[in-house]
Amino acid sequence: MPGFLKEFFNRNGIGMGSLMLGLVLFWTIGLIILPQLSILDFSFRPNLPPPEYGGPKDVYTLENYRYLVFGPEGGGQDYNSVDLRVFFRTLVAAVCVTLFNLILCYPIAYYLGQNKGNHMRIFALMLIIPYWINEILRAFALRIIFGESGVLNTVLMGLGVFDTPFDFIRNDIALYAGLGYAYILLMIFPIYNVIESLDRNQIEAARDMGASWPMIHKRVVIPYAKPGISSGCTMVFMLSAGALAAPQILGGPSSLWFTQLIYQQFNDNNDWPQGAAYAIVLLAVCILFVLAVMRMFKVNMGDIGK
Amino acid sequence: MNNSAIRISIWIYLAIFFAYLLGPLVIMSVTAFNSSEFPRATPWECLTFEWFSALFQDERILNGIKNSIIIGFGTIVLSVSMGLAGALMLTQIWPKLRATYYTIIIAPILIPGVVLGISTLVFWDRVNRMLGLGADSFLSSGLFLTVIGQSTFIASYCMLVLVARLQRYEIVQTEAALDLGATHAQAFRKVMLPFMRPAIASAAVLAFLASFENYNTTTFTFGEYPTLTIELAQKVRYGITPAISALAFIIVVLTVFAAVANEANIKRKELAAAARRGETTVGQVSGGGIRLPRFLAGNSAAVLLVILCIGTITVVGTATAYSPDQCVADIREQKRLEADERIQELRRKRDEENIRKFKGVFDPEDIAPEEEAAPATGGNDSGFGGVFDPNALSGQEESEAPSTEGNDSGFGGVFDPNSLSSE
Repeated sequence: MPGFLKEFFNRNGIGMGSLMLGLVLFWTIGLIILPQLSILDFSFRPNLPPPEYGGPKDVYTLENYRYLVFGPEGGGQDYNSVDLRVFFRTLVAAVCVTLFNLILCYPIAYYLGQNKGNHMRIFALMLIIPYWINEILRAFALRIIFGESGVLNTVLMGLGVFDTPFDFIRNDIALYAGLGYAYILLMIFPIYNVIESLDRNQIEAARDMGASWPMIHKRVVIPYAKPGISSGCTMVFMLSAGALAAPQILGGPSSLWFTQLIYQQFNDNNDWPQGAAYAIVLLAVCILFVLAVMRMFKVNMGDIGK
Repeated sequence: MNNSAIRISIWIYLAIFFAYLLGPLVIMSVTAFNSSEFPRATPWECLTFEWFSALFQDERILNGIKNSIIIGFGTIVLSVSMGLAGALMLTQIWPKLRATYYTIIIAPILIPGVVLGISTLVFWDRVNRMLGLGADSFLSSGLFLTVIGQSTFIASYCMLVLVARLQRYEIVQTEAALDLGATHAQAFRKVMLPFMRPAIASAAVLAFLASFENYNTTTFTFGEYPTLTIELAQKVRYGITPAISALAFIIVVLTVFAAVANEANIKRKELAAAARRGETTVGQVSGGGIRLPRFLAGNSAAVLLVILCIGTITVVGTATAYSPDQCVADIREQKRLEADERIQELRRKRDEENIRKFKGVFDPEDIAPEEEAAPATGGNDSGFGGVFDPNALSGQEESEAPSTEGNDSGFGGVFDPNSLSSE
């Protein structure tokens, strides 16, 4: 038995130690690492009926990835423009949702972090309550509001902004509002956590030296809050790029989210390897994108999730 | 001056922000009480509670709630124990491995739920086949896969909650217990677990809520056991009814209730602690005035809780006694009148067109359709005869008159509505 393992069992006892080790190994290897490896492996295989698994046709192939880029073989197109367009649209929209959330939430997080008092508890409750409501129901609520005969159209037509109902759902406004709405708390919380620990004297000092409000935020608050901002943005970006419920409920009939393509491959086309390949591409591109942006803004990976 | 302008703009911003956050929930709750077939707040038709009874008669929703609860408890057990083991391991692991280990156990939070669902499905399908089990084995059942898939990332949430508390734990306490002759299991159960209890409770609540509302992962793994969220998503995608608003209203009320109760409890403990320290007595906090019961004194959250309770009882009370039938009938009547008016309008337009045609050349070919159309109109009138009320009749006469003119008195007497209805 290796030394560190012996020490571990000495410290925790044989029973408790093996229980602990077993649970951790089950979680990390059985639930996290092996399933991810298996989906990666699966994505390189052709779509076969179960009896042919392991048979002579079950060889590694790049077909599923080729399909995403070049489309069906002999399809007459140079690129799979439909799926690729959905993919890039998803990424761009996820970036937009992230930026919108950051702009919306930063002032709130700053205000909550820098003020103390009884009403803060009420604000915190009001922030958390919507987050406890089912994701589907939140999307449903927005659909009621943005519908053709919904509250927003009634109000806007009453004010005389539009003559005919504006189709928020077809124009994807409902979708962006819904995605932004779903992840507000995930943006506020990390930023709030960091700003709360910012010493107020630093702001006072900057003000005494004649800095304007924008200057104080640019030079003092934002550099300090960078880890919080980056972990909030990472979470919102990853979750909105991987969202499925909101696009299904709030998306227009002609616009798809990339996760909906994955869903279709699994449930409608019954082509699991193809769906797995799409999922891998989504995961890999999102992670690379996040890492690239973090390098650009010089943030450490270790700061995330604090 | 400048300062107050800033203050006002902050409050306006806060108001807009919370309107965006809470407005949709309020409007959705309101639609649960509107009798309109489609969930909407405007135009308001009737106050009704029928959507709640429709909800409680929906087998699929009830079945979904049952599945959600079973899966929720499975997820609590699995993810809290894995989260606790993971958190304990984090404090003991070889320092060189710590960063890698932390990245691995935090990663499921960032991996899209869709990917987690697919990987769980694919991996356990493969395990199932390797073990030579059939398609109906336990390993491929929806309950097992959903619990496993959800626990993958919910355990990370639990781990984060538990680590925060574990950092304040003094390992000396366990060592002391061991020195006094306790076994490792006893030391864990009697010393560590009581210390961790609050964090374990919040991790369990978090796990249950996260499991209850999860969609992205569950949608790939649920199999034969659709959870409430899955059922809701199906309903919302293929036609929405106010019964969903009714369910949402119940969930909103329960959430607010739980949040306020929790707040009241914290506040009560704080007040008790303050009173014990002798800084202030509970009586002083209430600030004189009307003497409230001890439980409520100085505790606004508790007051709110009581108000909520009373409100709920009142609403449920009215719901059992109240019947919206009269109002619904009125609305139906009104809608029918509107529809009738539209029909009349259309008919008048058509008749006017006919007149215009007849003012031109008198062409026998043009008469032929008119002959067909005219009896049809007469037939319609007799068919709908009872439907029209007296108010609508005035419009009808107007529309009937030009058509008679157009016929140029040839059929005049025959198509008089009165003569038809007398038959």
